[in-house]
Amino acid sequence: MTAVLIIEGVAIILLAILVVGLLRSNADVLRALHELGAGEPGTRTTGSRHQHPAPQREGTAPDVSGSTLSGSAVHVGVTGTGHPTLLAFLSTGCSACMGLWEGLATGVGRIGGDDTRLVVVAKGPEAESESRLRELTPEGVSLVQSTEAWTDYEVPVSPYFVLVDGPSGSVIGEGSAGSWNQVTSLMSQALADAGTGRPDRIDNGELRADAELRRAGILPGDPRLYHDERPGNGRGMSA
Amino acid sequence: MVRSAGIDVAVPRGWDAEIYQRDGDFTGQSAGDAGASRPVVHLGTFPLPSSRGDFGSGAVEIMNQDDLLVVLFEYGRESVGTPLFARSGIPRVAAADFGPNNMQRPIAGQSGAQYFFNQSGRAFCLYVVLGAHARRNELVPEVNQVLAGLTIDPE
Repeated sequence: MTAVLIIEGVAIILLAILVVGLLRSNADVLRALHELGAGEPGTRTTGSRHQHPAPQREGTAPDVSGSTLSGSAVHVGVTGTGHPTLLAFLSTGCSACMGLWEGLATGVGRIGGDDTRLVVVAKGPEAESESRLRELTPEGVSLVQSTEAWTDYEVPVSPYFVLVDGPSGSVIGEGSAGSWNQVTSLMSQALADAGTGRPDRIDNGELRADAELRRAGILPGDPRLYHDERPGNGRGMSA
Repeated sequence: MVRSAGIDVAVPRGWDAEIYQRDGDFTGQSAGDAGASRPVVHLGTFPLPSSRGDFGSGAVEIMNQDDLLVVLFEYGRESVGTPLFARSGIPRVAAADFGPNNMQRPIAGQSGAQYFFNQSGRAFCLYVVLGAHARRNELVPEVNQVLAGLTIDPE
């Protein structure tokens, strides 16, 4: 009888370990799916600098080389420029891209300010329909066909957007979005997070609110910072 | 690196570049080889607009004082060996070569320089525009850096 109880106990422990392992595995899968935007169509927010394309080439974003629809060899400077560049990785075959193609002429002016340069990057002629690209690309929009750029930036899905800071060559933000409004939102947030024009900090990194309080003569510990005028009691959490 | 039509360009950091084929019925100058397509190279320190002329019209207008535009324009075979293209080898530019009156179409503050030469049995015009003539001493070394990374193969 004792032996049976011991065997049962061991079996229960093993089953418990198995269940825990399965739960952890499931959690990993769910986490990965979340990062890929599953369940939130068109709103993958890999955002900011945490997942930028390979801190490759000594941490700077690679320039884009490829061809134009007229067959020219072209090179677009992305790093070392005086302006940000928004790379829009679009394809003619993805349904989520259609609205973005249609909105190309008007939808991007607000992203990162007027000096942000938009470059549409499609895959090379071996993977894209050039005639369809001609139909979809508005006049005056820069389009480069470069499968290499898709590889360099490790583009996981289309549509996909990468905003590069020109002077530093660092990727400010990236992600997938299904509309230009979402692109604007995604990249504006990334710009704010990156610190360029960050609204809550000033040049020396000090919180803007702290600086304004200091100028008003309100320093850390000032009783006026606390609702009950007792410093150090829980930062204004009193009733 | 951009390569097309036997021309290789090592593009400096932050520059734009494009090598395209112009129409063979070019009429602005005697490009020769009627009907033949010839390459044009544009390099700029600024975003090159998608619509621009062979010698930079449409681009020079948006240059700022720190910008540079380098144009390499190939002429037809019959130009090789003519006095205009007698100079051999890819030129290097000098600040003294630049002047506001050398522009295809003068723009206040800017200056240009033009060189005709042959390389690898091919005839070219090199045309360079500086965003600010007053800054020619600082800008010219950048031009020569680009020219040092330019390779022209025989046809």
